[in-house]
Amino acid sequence: MDWQGQKLAEMLMQLLLVASAVAAFAVGYAMADFQLMLLVYAGGVVLTALVTVPNWPFFNRHPLKWLDAAEAERHPRPQVSAAAVAATGGKKKTGKNK
Amino acid sequence: MHSFGHRANAVATFAVTILAAMCFAASFSDQFNSPSPTASVKILNINWFQKEANGNDEVSMTLNISADLSSLFTWNTKQVFVFVAAEYETPQNALNQVSLWDGIIPSKEHAKFLIHTTNKYRFIDQGSNLKGKDFNLTMHWHIMPKTGKMFADKIVMTGYRLPEQYR
Repeated sequence: MDWQGQKLAEMLMQLLLVASAVAAFAVGYAMADFQLMLLVYAGGVVLTALVTVPNWPFFNRHPLKWLDAAEAERHPRPQVSAAAVAATGGKKKTGKNK
Repeated sequence: MHSFGHRANAVATFAVTILAAMCFAASFSDQFNSPSPTASVKILNINWFQKEANGNDEVSMTLNISADLSSLFTWNTKQVFVFVAAEYETPQNALNQVSLWDGIIPSKEHAKFLIHTTNKYRFIDQGSNLKGKDFNLTMHWHIMPKTGKMFADKIVMTGYRLPEQYR
């Protein structure tokens, strides 16, 4: 799930749960049936879980576009100043790894 | 919200939080119910009235209890407990309460009733104060909701009087 998908999932979850709670209370109050309210709400919770918990394709419409490795090499990390190099004992890692 | 477990947990916790709010709202909706219960108790007969060996007065009576408590029921009412108590004053105590009959009303359909019974629990005074005693019969009830706070109320019926002599 990408970043936009996570935001969408959270919004959907809150919206669906609140909406089903309002609907359940309205139905229960109108029909004067407490158990019916609980059943309607339970249905809403199951529906919400089905919609927002699995990693559906529509939560993955905004994949992150990573740069090429080659692009990263063309823009090397800024070099650390000489004083900092002396204090940390050199920059062996970056020097050797790539 | 990055993983399956995280999202499942978020749904479950938010769902339970809202459920608590719904229960609160259901309890609050009871405030809009303004009940108008009625009750009346007739004493058909004093079966016997005597002083026990230990000096306490006891009376047995036949009662006709009728009530319409159906307006107490809302969609959030689980059951209503109702009891009829004899209430009177003695020199020792400003208020004596003796429960004579009780019942549990499980639903609105059973809330209108007429019962012909002798007193279910013994009417005994702790002492010998009952001869010629004026007393009230009070119908008390406790409303037990499905969610929320219990409510209690009563109807006081006055003007009952025990015989002057044992019989």
